[in-house]
Amino acid sequence: MISNGKSKTVIELHVNGDSHEVMVRSGDTLLDILREQLGLSGAKRSCENGDCGACTVLADGKPIHSCLSLAIESCDQSLMTIEGLMGSPIQQAFVDNWAIQCGFCTPGFILNCHALATEHPNASDEVIEEWMCSNLCRCTGYQEIKEAVQSVVRASGNA
Amino acid sequence: MGTVLSYRLASLEETIAQLSREDCQIMAGGTDLMVQHKSPMGAPARFDKPVMFIDHLKELKQIDQVNQDLHIGACCTYTEILEHPLIPNIFKVAIKQIAAPAIRNRGTLGGNICNASPAGDTLPLLYIFNAQIRLRSSKGERVVGIQDFILGPRRVDRLREEILTEIILPEMLADRIVFEKVANRRADAIAKISFAGSMRLEGGRVGEARFAFGAVGPTIVRSLDIEQKLKGEAFPLDPKVVDGVVAYFDRIITPIDDHRSTAAYRKTVALRLLRHFLETM
Repeated sequence: MISNGKSKTVIELHVNGDSHEVMVRSGDTLLDILREQLGLSGAKRSCENGDCGACTVLADGKPIHSCLSLAIESCDQSLMTIEGLMGSPIQQAFVDNWAIQCGFCTPGFILNCHALATEHPNASDEVIEEWMCSNLCRCTGYQEIKEAVQSVVRASGNA
Repeated sequence: MGTVLSYRLASLEETIAQLSREDCQIMAGGTDLMVQHKSPMGAPARFDKPVMFIDHLKELKQIDQVNQDLHIGACCTYTEILEHPLIPNIFKVAIKQIAAPAIRNRGTLGGNICNASPAGDTLPLLYIFNAQIRLRSSKGERVVGIQDFILGPRRVDRLREEILTEIILPEMLADRIVFEKVANRRADAIAKISFAGSMRLEGGRVGEARFAFGAVGPTIVRSLDIEQKLKGEAFPLDPKVVDGVVAYFDRIITPIDDHRSTAAYRKTVALRLLRHFLETM
């Protein structure tokens, strides 16, 4: 893949099971392409520093900060945004456990916790806390978020 | 203008060939590079050179043991290193203190080294392990010690056509290895001070002691002279010997005041970490 700086390059992005051809500049972040070109505004623009996790998406199942990724880097990855997780158990668990206050951090947290529950179906509290370090909640509702994750982990662990 | 070319080539061979023709900004994870080059509010990131992505290259993602040495591909992410059975436990202790899992899914060991931040979290351990850096270009290969590779803040001894391909970790025999990171919070924090130390005892005496400080000078601080002098000292060390070592580092470490900490705090804590390391086993 060689992207010519003088014009935009067409790349294919695989998001939530669909393939999209998008025109990108070399310096376009994955976050901007998802939001501005694909209309997937679930990933939020916030610190743009990799600190807060509001822009989290899954790349091949692993949480990454889309503000620190260039769109061109993601062309051979399978991406998932919050829009692809509609109706998932983790989303319902956030609702059931009141793990949402202002909601701005919620998409990032849900994707991160979905990846956690997928990769570690029997995650200990220690592992849950370590994973939650990737995201910040300015309303500080961490306890409810942790309880939401615990409820999903317990459910899948028993299955 | 900030728009430039970018390359994401299929093999290491092609990547090296292109680097021999053109000076590029190599990106191996980019978790710090993107912070340095970002633009506000949706404008594209600005680079003054073409961007060469290398962290997808399979050739740079191997971890192998060769004789007593561990060879770690430069573009292994922290997550991949953390999950690998051959990696020494103390590196896992250190990596768990780097950023947070989502950053560790992108950040790479080679990137951390070439970024050459005085506060680079993996660097003090790489120094005390006497890590070797393998570089490759179209002209050939060379291997250089990490202490010679890192020249200063953001400056490394890498020619523009070279790629850091792997980090070689010689086996280290030690009775105790420690890594300490002092930062504002547990996750996503840049070190105010970091410290790595190892000690091997032989019949009640110091067989070998190695220690290095991060974030208290332009590069990692280590003194082979002092380490040599400690060899053969009875352990536990005589308080006068400990005082002497601490006084020596009081003179040679030169921390700065910045938004993360003060020079005075950094020096005080660094010397206490050293004293604690020398006094305990």
